[in-house]
Amino acid sequence: MSEENLSIVSLILNASLLVQLVMAILLIASVISWVMIVQRGIYLRNAESDYKNFEDTFWSGVDLNNLYRELSQQAQENGGGQGIENVFRAGFREFTRLTQGDGTDPDAVMEGTDRAMRVALSREEEKLSANLPFLASVASVSPYIGLFGTVWGIMNSFRGLAMVQQATLATVAPGISEALIATAMGLFAAIPAVIAYNRYAAKVETINASYETFAEEFSSILHRQVHSN
Amino acid sequence: MMGTKSSYFVAVILSIGIHAMVVLAVLANWEPESKKTIVQPQYIQAELIQLAPKKTAVKKPTTKPSIDQAAKKREADKRRAKEKKIAQQKLEAQRKAQRIKNQQEAEKLRRAREEKQRKAEQERARLQAEKAEQQRKQQTLIVAKEDKQAANSYLQLIRAQLSQQWNRPKSARRGMETLIELRLVPTGRIVGVKILESSGDMAFDRSVEQAAYKAEPFSELQKMEPRIFEQYFRSVKIVFNPKDLRL
Repeated sequence: MSEENLSIVSLILNASLLVQLVMAILLIASVISWVMIVQRGIYLRNAESDYKNFEDTFWSGVDLNNLYRELSQQAQENGGGQGIENVFRAGFREFTRLTQGDGTDPDAVMEGTDRAMRVALSREEEKLSANLPFLASVASVSPYIGLFGTVWGIMNSFRGLAMVQQATLATVAPGISEALIATAMGLFAAIPAVIAYNRYAAKVETINASYETFAEEFSSILHRQVHSN
Repeated sequence: MMGTKSSYFVAVILSIGIHAMVVLAVLANWEPESKKTIVQPQYIQAELIQLAPKKTAVKKPTTKPSIDQAAKKREADKRRAKEKKIAQQKLEAQRKAQRIKNQQEAEKLRRAREEKQRKAEQERARLQAEKAEQQRKQQTLIVAKEDKQAANSYLQLIRAQLSQQWNRPKSARRGMETLIELRLVPTGRIVGVKILESSGDMAFDRSVEQAAYKAEPFSELQKMEPRIFEQYFRSVKIVFNPKDLRL
């Protein structure tokens, strides 16, 4: 390393290949995790507002048949519906199908409807929590990767120190500084990922809970209807 | 789905933007700290001053008077005066040139003398440096010798303490010899003991090892100069062969 050139660029360029590789991995992990963070953020916010809008229209006293037809049309146009609408549609579709036949057992109707809604619910949950495992693994692994790069770099710089007669701080300092960049990058990648993962996991849980609540309420409405006939 | 695709697009752009910004910020902030200001020595421009005689400005005659006779006389006077002046000027110039020549010669001589002096001085300095070098070499030799002596005396001390603390095992026989290596720190404590050459008797070796641990700390080592310590006592090899064995 040249004597005084300690700019971060030259530090990175002069690092050993392995440390550079570690840095590249961390940079890529950070970029991808930020993509996930932003994308999940947008998706979850949309899901939340969609749920609120749907609940408003649902409880406004609209005719369920009309609502179902409208939503189906929308879903066909968009190529698949969104969130809670899918649960509603799955449940209602199953319900109408089962009640069309004469003399069906009300309990069997309710069972089928519930099952259809459960399936839709689990599908929605899958959609909500997609990519979150990636964030979790970036959060937990990237500090270790950075640490590995640092340990490797410090190891090398100390090995270089052993060859030198006059051991001064200046002979190890650049190597250690260069090695510590790897840890810094690891933390830089990990911290946002940890925060985002915790936040989004909580959010997914709340949204999921509200979906389930809605499914129960809807089921109770259908139950009343099928037993009053 | 359309919505997710566009959200991915936005996310990619945002992510890359954030990283670019961070990298730029780091680059911008890191640079000035390591920049060194180099103070250039101030150069003084040297100019060669020429010792040429200054050209004397020839005075132009002033406006002529209009009255002829007086004027003529005055003119003649003037002419004479002028000629005289010119002659004088010539003489003066000659003298000046002579003076300058003398000066230059004197300068040359002086310079030669100075040169000679400087050379002599350099020679002297060189000789002195050589002498000093030799002296230093000798000094270091002497110091090394003294160091060795000091080290030997300390070594004797350590050996004496070792044999003082030694408990003779039953299996010890005359002529047994163990080469042990003590690794010491400047406080006199032992940080490691290794048997380099066994005596052939395990109990004997172990007893020597234990003696070393019993004998520490060698507090005399604290008074030693660090130079000697580094050279001789980081790791000490001691041959342990008790001579007072009556067996």
